[in-house]
Amino acid sequence: MSRYLLRHEAILAVLLALALAVLAMQSDRFFTVENLLNQGRLMAEVGLVALAMTFVIVSAGIDLSVGSILGLVAILLGVFWQKLGMPLPLAMVLGIVVGGLAGLVNGIIITRFRVPPLIATLATLALYRGLAEGISQARSVRGYPEWFFVLGQGEVLGVPTQLWIFLVCAVAAAVVLGMSTFGRATYATGANIVAARFSGIPVDRTILLIYTASGLIAGLAAIIFVSRVSTTRSDMGTGLELDVITAVVLGGTSIFGGRGTIIGTLLGLILMQALKNGLALAGVKGDGTIVVIGLILIATIIISNLVRRDTDG
Amino acid sequence: MSALIELSGISKSFANVRVLQDISFDVRAGEVHALVGENGAGKSTLIKIMGGVHRADAGEMRVDGEAANFTSPRAAATKGIAVVHQELLLFPDLSVAENIFMGHALRAKWGGLDWPQMRERARALLDRLQSQHIDVDARVGALSVANRQRVEIARALSQDARVLIMDEPTASLVEEDVQQLLSIVRMLREKGVGIVYVSHKLPEIFALADRVTVLRDGARVGTAAIGELDERKLVSMMVGRPIDQLFPKRDTSIGAPLLELRKLGFGGVVRDVSLTLRAGEILGIAGLIGSGRTETALTIFGITPATSGEILVDGKAVSIHSPQQARDLGIAYVPEDRGLQGLVRPQSIQENVSLTVLKTLAKGGLIDHRKEERLARESIAKFGIRARGPRQIVKQLSGGNQQKVVLAKWLATEPRILIMDEPTRGIDVGAKSEIHALMSALAARGLGILMISSELPEVLGMSDRVLVMKNGTLVAEFDRADATAEAVGAAMTLANASGEAA
Amino acid sequence: MAVAGTLNHRRSGLSRLFEAYGQEFVVLGAIVALFVIVGAVNPRFLGDNNLINIFSGNAYIAVAAIGMSLVIITGHIDVSVGSLIGVLATIAGTLAVQGYPVWVAWTVPVLVGVAINTFVGALVAYARIPSIVVTLGMLSILKGGLISVTGGTWITDMPPEFFIAQKRLFGIPAPVYFMVILTMLMAFWMHYASLGRAIYAVGGNPEAARASGLYPERVCVLAFAMHGFFAGIAALLFATQLQVIQSTVPPNLELTVITASVIGGVSILGGTGTVIGSTLAAILFACISSALVFLNVSAYWLRAVLGLLILATVLADMTRRRRHRAAGRL
Repeated sequence: MSRYLLRHEAILAVLLALALAVLAMQSDRFFTVENLLNQGRLMAEVGLVALAMTFVIVSAGIDLSVGSILGLVAILLGVFWQKLGMPLPLAMVLGIVVGGLAGLVNGIIITRFRVPPLIATLATLALYRGLAEGISQARSVRGYPEWFFVLGQGEVLGVPTQLWIFLVCAVAAAVVLGMSTFGRATYATGANIVAARFSGIPVDRTILLIYTASGLIAGLAAIIFVSRVSTTRSDMGTGLELDVITAVVLGGTSIFGGRGTIIGTLLGLILMQALKNGLALAGVKGDGTIVVIGLILIATIIISNLVRRDTDG
Repeated sequence: MSALIELSGISKSFANVRVLQDISFDVRAGEVHALVGENGAGKSTLIKIMGGVHRADAGEMRVDGEAANFTSPRAAATKGIAVVHQELLLFPDLSVAENIFMGHALRAKWGGLDWPQMRERARALLDRLQSQHIDVDARVGALSVANRQRVEIARALSQDARVLIMDEPTASLVEEDVQQLLSIVRMLREKGVGIVYVSHKLPEIFALADRVTVLRDGARVGTAAIGELDERKLVSMMVGRPIDQLFPKRDTSIGAPLLELRKLGFGGVVRDVSLTLRAGEILGIAGLIGSGRTETALTIFGITPATSGEILVDGKAVSIHSPQQARDLGIAYVPEDRGLQGLVRPQSIQENVSLTVLKTLAKGGLIDHRKEERLARESIAKFGIRARGPRQIVKQLSGGNQQKVVLAKWLATEPRILIMDEPTRGIDVGAKSEIHALMSALAARGLGILMISSELPEVLGMSDRVLVMKNGTLVAEFDRADATAEAVGAAMTLANASGEAA
Repeated sequence: MAVAGTLNHRRSGLSRLFEAYGQEFVVLGAIVALFVIVGAVNPRFLGDNNLINIFSGNAYIAVAAIGMSLVIITGHIDVSVGSLIGVLATIAGTLAVQGYPVWVAWTVPVLVGVAINTFVGALVAYARIPSIVVTLGMLSILKGGLISVTGGTWITDMPPEFFIAQKRLFGIPAPVYFMVILTMLMAFWMHYASLGRAIYAVGGNPEAARASGLYPERVCVLAFAMHGFFAGIAALLFATQLQVIQSTVPPNLELTVITASVIGGVSILGGTGTVIGSTLAAILFACISSALVFLNVSAYWLRAVLGLLILATVLADMTRRRRHRAAGRL
């Protein structure tokens, strides 16, 4: 398993190096500290959610509802603060808690009712987005206090605030998935849930925790998102799940569960963001970059399948 | 009588590994030709060549005297050769009739599928197999294993099979279903079908076969009429050496009670089961599938927590609601289905062995990888697991070695109560006796072992006491001295005869 | 076990019908209940105009769900169908505006749909990439490609004969005919054609299918190719129902289509389901949306209600299935 992963990550790293080289040649604005940090800022929300999604997919699940949870929490932040008159810090915490609850509901539907994750989160995708639309009635919330924008627009030691948050979370996620008993339980659950249960692994609790964490972190991403764009709208995070899943799968996590790493996800994320940015700088319009990402996703999987088949004979 | 199918000089390699070398084999009309050998001897490859799944690299295959070279299973089927696969290749969501005719469906005049005729012919085929009780419209997924097997045999007959290849057909059948299957096979033989019968179970072979061919390491050891062989001779042909002791049970001193069940119940499947397991004792549980033996084990182990009654460990009442609790009480369960319940097959030996003891290998939630590797190395040495090292992926190991990994991972928890469900299912003769020796040694060290097995010789050979289950409850108990095949078998089948009549 | 067999034997034809088509009956029941309740509250809901609008305005979803059902029954999934329909609709509109004959504007998108999805199917079957990954990639490619080529502009001024979805026969709009006839044809094909049965066989147990002499890879490509055909038809209905085509991807269309298939009884695990169920489910969604309007529920709550209903149906279905399984184990 580890050898396969290394191989996939090596392919990815080579692709990334190649892409960076080409992009740097295309535009001299690409390899500037300012640009790179700014790209880190833009990547943080998708990145945070992708960290949790790596756990979800390794455990042989999928969470399509993350974009909707993000939208719901963003709306609730505005409602709690402006309509209910809560202090903003409390509204932020409550928003994240609601995100966690939304994730917990996903987990309960999956573990208690044995609904396949794809279906369960497809349903809650519609439900959570619907709640966001219903609660907001298409009205946006603006006028957040200045200190709130530190999170999404500020810097700490010259590095965007949310990039710090992302880095801390990434290290934590890598340690938990790669080295902890919880991580091992996640892999075992994803590779063979029955054997994991028979081995005394608390499978249901593991899955519940993973989806709850996915919801929590989508909530956190929502707060950062609102802080970055200074406003709250109910369509925030639409399509986020596809970006996130693409990054995770690009990073070598098997969609069938049982294998994948945080390092791979990071490589996948960086490759995606670099392409988006580099192509934009090279004059490709925003939507053209999506095409390239789709192509890269398919190509990477084909190449890594071929390599695997060759060596496994 | 001439051969229906005749193979000569067949060789086959996969990725430069020679699997079959110069094999000759033939089946005549109206005979049962048993094909035996240890796992990895090349039986399944030979079957797949006859069934059109693989093509031989060298050698010749003749059907009715004419050279044949099958390019697909369908090509083999049109020549009248059908395979009843061990894993029963059926479609659980489709009806019995459709399963029987999948791939060669009957068509009406206008070109569409002729459902009424398919149902009618399916009915007739099943009736021929004394299976009037199987509904042609039932979903196959809702049938028992034995009934599914009959569907697969009916499927073979629907293609007018003259050669029927049966790959370990009784591997997952209980004794009573085995007897019925054997009578179906005899009936087919009488009608002139040639049958290739692959099995690990020697008693069946002696009860059924006309001739036996033994394979070992991809080569043919010999072919003989059944009358020229006895069990000992056949085993030594298979293994390549004589096995002196099939069941190396040592006498141990039996100690204090470890596990007591008092009127244990789960739903309607386990009812009022009371038993005592003592230190150093191997307690065998015999019974048919569905008699509640595995269900009792699952209840003790907390997979399906008890709904009534008591479990006592060391004389103290305990409540077990999850495998975690069972493990912490010193109970280990080596499950029935190795691939599904026992192992995480895509993971390494190391990761599998440590799965039950992650907590003790970890500090502050983080796993100590050196400790983990040491545990795996010790297990490989202690259990004689034949592997390249602790990082080898489990699914690459043979069945016997996989079972040793399951044992290793559970003995890592240092249990005092070991439940073993079908401990040697699908394992070849050599590895079987190694596992039996291990069980014996564990009991000698003071473990209490609860052994569930469908193989009567194993139950009789290994147990200090034998319990018989029926309809979810215990119906008979025998001491080692009194436990004869006749007595235990009678308790199981008599019990069942009344159940079947209902 | 013998007991289970005897029980099966004695069951009445009706209960057997219900077991085989349980989910279809549930959805049909839900539609009927909706009509009764909403009709009682606001009789205008049952008016001819509204009913026709419900059916004809959403027929393209039902048509797309037919193809999606084929793909899901084969054991795969397609999350790119919304983008594909967007692309094909744009192609149709563009051809019509540029003066090609109408039949060209109608057939080319269908052929392109078949070609694209045949390619997708080949990647899934022969390159062995999980379908969710391939179609996730296709989603990006089609969506990004469409917007970067067209810039999301509106296409207008198509010739009047182009608008096939606005034609009527005996007062009933053409999309309804498409929906009903295609559903029935496919239901028939899937029951009486050996290739139709092969789709179930491959989805249920690919290994067994191979051993039965079927070719799982070819069946997979076929399912995707047919799915492309239905996406093409759906795109035509979608493109011609209004006077303009917005050359973007209809938001969340893939989710609506997948949900219709699944709620209609197609098991996401492959091997079971019918297109009658998926069409009924598509109709149910359309009815729910319309009913909310007639019940004076704010349009902004529409999706929440829909989500809740989807969730309720899924949970009910899982419970029913679990009972079914428990009975099987008897």
